[in-house]
Amino acid sequence: MADYIVETHGLSRHYQIGGVTVKALDDVNIQVVRGEYNSIVGPSGSGKTTLFNMIGGLDRPTAGQVFIDEIDIAKLDAYELAWLRCHRVGYIFQTFNLIPVLTALENVALPMIFAGVPRGKRETRAVEMLEMVGLGARLHHRPTELSAGQQQRVAIARALANDPDIILADEPTGNLDLHTGLEIIDILRKLNQEREVTVIAATHDTKIIDVSDAIFWVRDGQIEREERRTQG
Amino acid sequence: MTGKGFRSGEERIEFPFREAFWMSVEQIRKRLQRSIIVVGSIALGIALLTHLEMTNVILGTYMSSLGTTMEAYQFWLIVVSLFVCAIGLINANLIAIYERYREIGTMKCLGALDQHVMKLFLVEAMVFGVVGGVGGFAFGALTALASSSIQLGVNVLAFTPVDAVLRYLGGATGLAVILSVVSTVYPAVRAARLPPVEALRHDI
Repeated sequence: MADYIVETHGLSRHYQIGGVTVKALDDVNIQVVRGEYNSIVGPSGSGKTTLFNMIGGLDRPTAGQVFIDEIDIAKLDAYELAWLRCHRVGYIFQTFNLIPVLTALENVALPMIFAGVPRGKRETRAVEMLEMVGLGARLHHRPTELSAGQQQRVAIARALANDPDIILADEPTGNLDLHTGLEIIDILRKLNQEREVTVIAATHDTKIIDVSDAIFWVRDGQIEREERRTQG
Repeated sequence: MTGKGFRSGEERIEFPFREAFWMSVEQIRKRLQRSIIVVGSIALGIALLTHLEMTNVILGTYMSSLGTTMEAYQFWLIVVSLFVCAIGLINANLIAIYERYREIGTMKCLGALDQHVMKLFLVEAMVFGVVGGVGGFAFGALTALASSSIQLGVNVLAFTPVDAVLRYLGGATGLAVILSVVSTVYPAVRAARLPPVEALRHDI
């Protein structure tokens, strides 16, 4: 019996644009197995980013439910949602989204401030996370002083700061060249294997798809097909 | 392997005042130019108020025939200038906060609540207020002392009542903080209420 960390039932997200209803997501039912490396794949406008936003609790569905650890996240209040984002989920974005006035170290420490971690412990752990992604020598650099690949690595370190169960990545290699993209995918794959973090990446990068355990192909707001690349 | 319990006792979300304070000091320090504009406008408004108050107090004490209270025209001059100051501050804050929408979205993804975002902006506003108030007071007091000495000779400085000075300092700082906070509230509330998806959509 598989252990599902994320499930959606009848998930829909509609927008009213100029009198027309646009169905970004329409009756999506997926199940994500704990500890696996997953990809949500589709062309631009297919709904993969919308699905990403739903799973991450960044946006509310029009209909249907999202369950994280068997809890319907639509029933969570603001505090509980924030708690979820702080302690259970780590986010990685195509545009990195680092705070520009903070150094790499301070960026990684930021989620720990909201988690109530005291200053000494925050800094120790931030250093640990940055060393793990290979940026031990760049602790005090600002994002403007880092390359795109390095910024994404800081973002990964930040996503792991509070030891989440899930990493949600929206086009993590979208702004990276081929070689850097491979490095990032390698880091994410290692995290998945060594730390047993469930990775869910919305992407159209075939390199990510190649290392995935499960792939959800999205088209026009619906799951076109599901593919499994490993046993079980 | 099962997941960790939901809302287990040790884990929480918080944003204590101490952290908000340090974060706002750092934000201000690193955005120095933008901060100088805001602090400068507060300081100028407060400087005018202080100058007029102090001049009245010094002259009034010196020539005890005069009262130490402000004339009507001076009062209205100050009201108008502080009003103009506030309008400028509101505009400056609207822009400064709008530029940080992406940051706010990101912070919410890291666990920040609406009230945490508000707290950060309000604490920043208070720090601006204190710095602008004290700086403006110092500037206004100096010009008041200078102009009084020029008009009536350096002896007049002996007539500066210290207790009044301290009261005015307290009043000036308080007024500056109120001015700063009031002009931050509207843009900050709008920003704090943004859902993460909305906030992250903004490119700066």
